[in-house]
Amino acid sequence: MARMKFLVDAERCIECNGCVTACKNENEVPWGVNRRRVVTVNDGVVGAEKSISVACMHCSDAPCMAVCPVDCFYRTEDGVVLHDKDLCIGCGYCFYACPFGAPQFPQAGAFGLRGKMDKCTFCAGGPEKDRSESEFKKYGRNRLAEGKLPACAEMCSTKALLGGDGDVVADIYRERVVRRGKGSEVWGWGTAYGPGKAGGQPPAKGA
Amino acid sequence: MHIRFRFAIRLATFAAALLPGLAAAQAQPASPATQADEQRQRGVDQPGNNAPVWRDVRSGSENYTSIHGRETGVLIQPQARFPGQANISTAGEAWRNFRNGPITFYGGWVLVLATLAIAAFYFAKGPLKLHEKPTGRLVERFSLLERWAHWTVAISFVVLALTGLSILFGKYVLLPILGYTLFAWLLTLCKYAHNFIAPLFIAGLLVMIVVYIRDNLPEKGDLAWFRGAFAMFWSGKHVPSGRFNAGEKAYFWIGVVALCITLSVTGVIMLFPNLDQVRTTMQQTNVIHSISAIVMTLFALGHIYVGTIGVEGAYQNMREGVTDETWAKEHHELWYNDVKSGKLAAKSGATPQVQH
Repeated sequence: MARMKFLVDAERCIECNGCVTACKNENEVPWGVNRRRVVTVNDGVVGAEKSISVACMHCSDAPCMAVCPVDCFYRTEDGVVLHDKDLCIGCGYCFYACPFGAPQFPQAGAFGLRGKMDKCTFCAGGPEKDRSESEFKKYGRNRLAEGKLPACAEMCSTKALLGGDGDVVADIYRERVVRRGKGSEVWGWGTAYGPGKAGGQPPAKGA
Repeated sequence: MHIRFRFAIRLATFAAALLPGLAAAQAQPASPATQADEQRQRGVDQPGNNAPVWRDVRSGSENYTSIHGRETGVLIQPQARFPGQANISTAGEAWRNFRNGPITFYGGWVLVLATLAIAAFYFAKGPLKLHEKPTGRLVERFSLLERWAHWTVAISFVVLALTGLSILFGKYVLLPILGYTLFAWLLTLCKYAHNFIAPLFIAGLLVMIVVYIRDNLPEKGDLAWFRGAFAMFWSGKHVPSGRFNAGEKAYFWIGVVALCITLSVTGVIMLFPNLDQVRTTMQQTNVIHSISAIVMTLFALGHIYVGTIGVEGAYQNMREGVTDETWAKEHHELWYNDVKSGKLAAKSGATPQVQH
């Protein structure tokens, strides 16, 4: 099976927030939760502005999974990191641990009491029966089960955000880098899929 | 109220930052103006080189995003290193490794070994017994307020300790036995119990500190008591002490005052995620909370042992508030003398009572 990954091309992202909207619409995400967000560095500075779309990166060695006290996370055979909301106790530890700030908690009561964690599922639903109503209510659309890729990447107007088989998106990106001769940093890949090194790393050398 | 909370959080963050090495390794984000200028210049000198931007992102700096919320503009957590860690990593990863590593491993084993050591001592030596026969004459040892304060804190602490330990160790100990569904159900209960009993614990703690502080002030004979403490447990030979002996005073100052207040402050910071705290604060708070909790649990194991099966009569004292003259004379001779001589008339429960 393919190893699913997200890849963001900072040379292409135009901060349109189409991915954020697509995600919210497709998955009918709870109020106050955004599974994906676009962050702009040097906003408004001509020649120095860079935007990046970020959500759960579905890490190879996921810190959220490691710290969860009820062990509610699991990894699908596509390498997608999912969680079981029926087990989640809303402690917030995954949010402490995640480098990307992916886990979100809808407020469940007074004093900021955390509800059950919600995060990007790579449009792959949850532990419920594929494409069932309860799966949709808790986790959103299971597009992978329908043979489709995540809505955010599919919707991206500049194809800055790629989501799919890690080898395929890396190949696409490598071709881009070779053509334009710049922007080889694949942001977040080192942290999410690399051997624990900080910062962005190119997916592969040579080729 | 809100402002005061924010202030407390800043104060705690500051205190946390003072702990050596804990936050030392955090990279300083470049100020936006200089980083942007540098990037613009870099784009002219070396087209396609975005190193200044990536450096800024890696430092965990806050940038623009249209999504409102705390730290939503942070792309990746800042770099950090907890004590004993060889490599610098994102703060979340550092916290994960410290919590799942040393805290869980050493914390877990130290608790198991301490429990075994206490059990071994109990079965080898047995409880500390009275040498003389009880006289049947009772003196008041703890007032009603003192007992209420003690039991409020004691019972709430036991609940907090058990629920907290389940949150830290349950995954390794209870989950294999109970299975996912039952364990998640139990831990949901633990989380609510931990969160909602904590305020009761803090209120009781404050009352207890006020009520007990006077008789726990250090005195001249305290050092001598520590020197004789081992002999006391081994051979039953007591060192004369006042109302509280030096061991009880150490428990009061280190355990009740220092550790329990640390636990309360760090607990409140994590209890209200809707205040101003960032993830780094919560990670450091969690580490301080976990370590303090494990050390406090160790103290409490010892305290509960000597307060129940370890010392004959100790539990009855706190339960009934009165103690037999023989017990008072053997365990707290100086206090007993003061009571008998009328120096502590108000405390002595003037009329002898009949044992229930």
